[in-house]
Amino acid sequence: MADATMLNVVLWLPFAGMLAIAVVPAGRDGFVRGLTFWTMVVQFFLAAMLYARFDPAAAGLQAATNVPWIADWGVSYAVGLDGYNILLVLLTAFLGPLVTAGAFSAITKQVKLFYAMVFLIQFAMLGTFLAQDLFLFYLFWEAMLIPMFLMIGIWGGERRIYATLKFFLYTAFGSILMLAAIIWLVWWQWKGTGALSFAFADLLKANVPVGAQFWLLGAFGISFAIKVPMVPLHTWLPDAHVEAPTAGSVILAGVLLKMGTYGFMKLGLPLFPDATRAAVPLLAALGTLSIVYGACLALVQTDIKKIIAYSSISHLGYVVLGLASLDLLGIQGAMMQMVSHGLVAAGLFLMVGMIYERCHTRELAAYGGLARVVPVYSVFFVILTLASVGLPTTSGFTGEFLVLIGAFAAGWRELQAGGSAFFLAMAILAATGVVLGALYMLWFAQRFLFGAEKVPHGPITDLGGREKAILITLVASIFWLGLFPEGALRKSEPAARDYQQLIAGKAAAKAPAKGVAR
Amino acid sequence: MNASLAFTALLPEHILLAGIVALLVIEIVSDEAKGELPVAIISVAFAAIAAAGLASGGNTLEPFPGQFILTPGIAAAKAVVLALAIPVLLVSRGDFPRGPYYPLLLSSLYGICLVASSSSFLTMFLGIEIMSVPVYVLVLLAYRRPESAEAALKYLVLSGTASAMFLMGASLIFGSTGSLSVGAFAQALASNTLLSQSALVMVVSAFFLKAAIVPFHGWAPDAYEAASVPVTAYMATLVKAGVLFAALRVFGEAGLAQPLAGILAFLPIASIVWGNLAAMRQAGLRRMIAYSSIAHAGYLFLALLGEGPGRFEAVAFYLAAYGATNILAFAALPNAKDDESRDRLEDLKGLFHRAPLAAILIGIAMLSLAGIPPFPGFAGKFLIFKNVMAAGHVWIAVAGLVASYLGIYFYLRVIQFMFMAPDAQPAGHRPASGMAIGAGLLCLAFTVAIAVAPGWFLARL
Repeated sequence: MADATMLNVVLWLPFAGMLAIAVVPAGRDGFVRGLTFWTMVVQFFLAAMLYARFDPAAAGLQAATNVPWIADWGVSYAVGLDGYNILLVLLTAFLGPLVTAGAFSAITKQVKLFYAMVFLIQFAMLGTFLAQDLFLFYLFWEAMLIPMFLMIGIWGGERRIYATLKFFLYTAFGSILMLAAIIWLVWWQWKGTGALSFAFADLLKANVPVGAQFWLLGAFGISFAIKVPMVPLHTWLPDAHVEAPTAGSVILAGVLLKMGTYGFMKLGLPLFPDATRAAVPLLAALGTLSIVYGACLALVQTDIKKIIAYSSISHLGYVVLGLASLDLLGIQGAMMQMVSHGLVAAGLFLMVGMIYERCHTRELAAYGGLARVVPVYSVFFVILTLASVGLPTTSGFTGEFLVLIGAFAAGWRELQAGGSAFFLAMAILAATGVVLGALYMLWFAQRFLFGAEKVPHGPITDLGGREKAILITLVASIFWLGLFPEGALRKSEPAARDYQQLIAGKAAAKAPAKGVAR
Repeated sequence: MNASLAFTALLPEHILLAGIVALLVIEIVSDEAKGELPVAIISVAFAAIAAAGLASGGNTLEPFPGQFILTPGIAAAKAVVLALAIPVLLVSRGDFPRGPYYPLLLSSLYGICLVASSSSFLTMFLGIEIMSVPVYVLVLLAYRRPESAEAALKYLVLSGTASAMFLMGASLIFGSTGSLSVGAFAQALASNTLLSQSALVMVVSAFFLKAAIVPFHGWAPDAYEAASVPVTAYMATLVKAGVLFAALRVFGEAGLAQPLAGILAFLPIASIVWGNLAAMRQAGLRRMIAYSSIAHAGYLFLALLGEGPGRFEAVAFYLAAYGATNILAFAALPNAKDDESRDRLEDLKGLFHRAPLAAILIGIAMLSLAGIPPFPGFAGKFLIFKNVMAAGHVWIAVAGLVASYLGIYFYLRVIQFMFMAPDAQPAGHRPASGMAIGAGLLCLAFTVAIAVAPGWFLARL
């Protein structure tokens, strides 16, 4: 019970923080910054305690609350932790204070509104992960749009209006389709059982007819694919990233994009297992396409933020591929990759923001030889670059490696069973993505940090204490996950098994699947 | 007939009538009347309380059997309409410091209450006319531009046509069924003779015209633009509610057959699409709201495709959410030196820097109108589409939802102007009056209440 209270505190703390900011008199910017930062720190420690107490061996939800909310519609306020969301909740809570601290120097206008929006989006993101009721999930899912819309639109770059409208309209289109599918699904469930319910657990038992599953999976899938984003629905992302303020980019890359892959894993695919089994090749193909296409595009960008934005598309392709592999290792790799990308991309965007504050340009060609000018910055940048490439001992390695093993295993099994070599081909193509990834990131770092010295609007100072503290925290967590992934993998393993079983049904239960942690 | 029953069941109407009489007396005896606004607000507030009391009584009252009926749900809907009239009155002071505005508005409200309770076509016709005729005058009352007269005349003629069509339809129904009761409409729904079908088309077209459904919508943008801000707010929300109450009374809980189901599916969806598309190109707030209200009328009529008691619930909930947020937007609108400048969307640029509270209020209103959760506009849409889907019209619901997507952009544009543009600093702009902001906060409180506890509200409908 105590855990359930603590979970609700973690969820509602940002909301309370937003209300608190609203009553702070104007002009007390320093106080607002401090309030936000320390609230976020408290939230992280509470979340970390929940994480520590989370018992992977126990079945079902933990720290759960379930009270009826709109009884007539069968909607309840149901939140809880399970293997699916535990890592992502911790990631969100972990990035909260870092995002806040990272924005101290960058955001100087409308400070109150900005931190109110940071709180609001934190609340909505945690709510989306924690919700165990489809109606609640949808509310939180949509509520994320508003603060991000304002964040990009108010504090963004030159083309911010275009970027923010594109972001909103793309996402909202997917949401409308998802809403239609939700209404249909709940109606179907109601027709079958006579009781209206939005609870995930009830809907998973809805026995949707196969024909309808394809429509519903399509609607959910488009919505999630836009959020991930998967090629070819990705075009909003580079614009949003480039125009967003640093904090916006960090939240976007760090947590928001995982909503898409989390949605696929928790809802989109398990709700419609028959359609999913048929759609696995398509998912794998789109995942691989995202990996390769994103990497190729990252290779040719001239804007620093765009390079990282396209690299996000590429890295999230691995997550989709891992989920599509239906192999235990692949699934666990996908979950690992979500967290890892959250940390690495957040770090890279923070670093780009730091250099942008000093030099006021994102043009890669304007830079060069930073290693001699700002050595501390450069060290951190190299570490994050290597983590992004997937160097062993960093978290990036664990995720990508497990996904590729899973994909190969799935492809090999299919070939052995007399099936096509399609999946194996996808795995091989995805492996070339690793090479491409190394290519664009290292080339980027080389042009950025080495060579002839070019510093726009120089001379510039190296990292300050606040910036160092942020980066040390991030880098430490990246190495921690790279060196000791077992803890995290063990917490999420039951969810991976659960997911595998929900989709593959009994067939998978017989397959000799071994978890990494065991 | 039981006199005490006639007193209690019509208590909200009686209180309104007393208010109208009091206002007329004030108008006659005093040259410098100052008490009009408080008298109007007090009588509407007491009428709302009376309606809420009747709703919580939980009894169905029929003081004039076959003519007037009051179920708890109808009483609750009346209470909402009357409660929403209070913020409309609060924002009226700037435009109408005194004069015939107040008795006219209360008369129109009386008509809405009568329509909501009517159980025969005669009462309904009476109600519709009492509701509409004062509005023709109200549009013209804020005579600021030459177009006002033209628009008021256009509204008068088209609305008169609608009344004529309604009468024609009612007499055809009488001809085919021999009854003037609203139940005869459901009977006509079931039969498929040419006579009853043309009657249905007549009555439904009259509703479409009054509620501005494509292709009967041409008068709305002109009339809304010509009227003053409080009158526009009143027309866009409460008058529309009156028309929908009439539709709900005649449709009852009966299922729909062709050709009516087809008409009720196609024209409202066309309204949603066209209203949303046309709203994108408007430079004036009131014209934008006019087109947006055309789209919202589309959702409301689409809700009639749903069946059973859910139909009333969905429409009433949607009207409450839509009404509260629309009036909220109008209440928070800043004052300007002239009407045109007050109306210009461009002049809202940078409002957040000048008046943060007003900008936030309008922003919430826009998001709710766009149907973005967690605001109640979303719950309203959700309820409507849920019912439509449950009645078996899956693809119509999907089409309506996708059409509603078109309505997001222009609401966002208002937010973009207010929050993301540099301060336009239009000359002569003053923040909204304290009373108007108070009205906005009232609407906001109601909006938050039905967003947090929609179940509580629905249980009372």
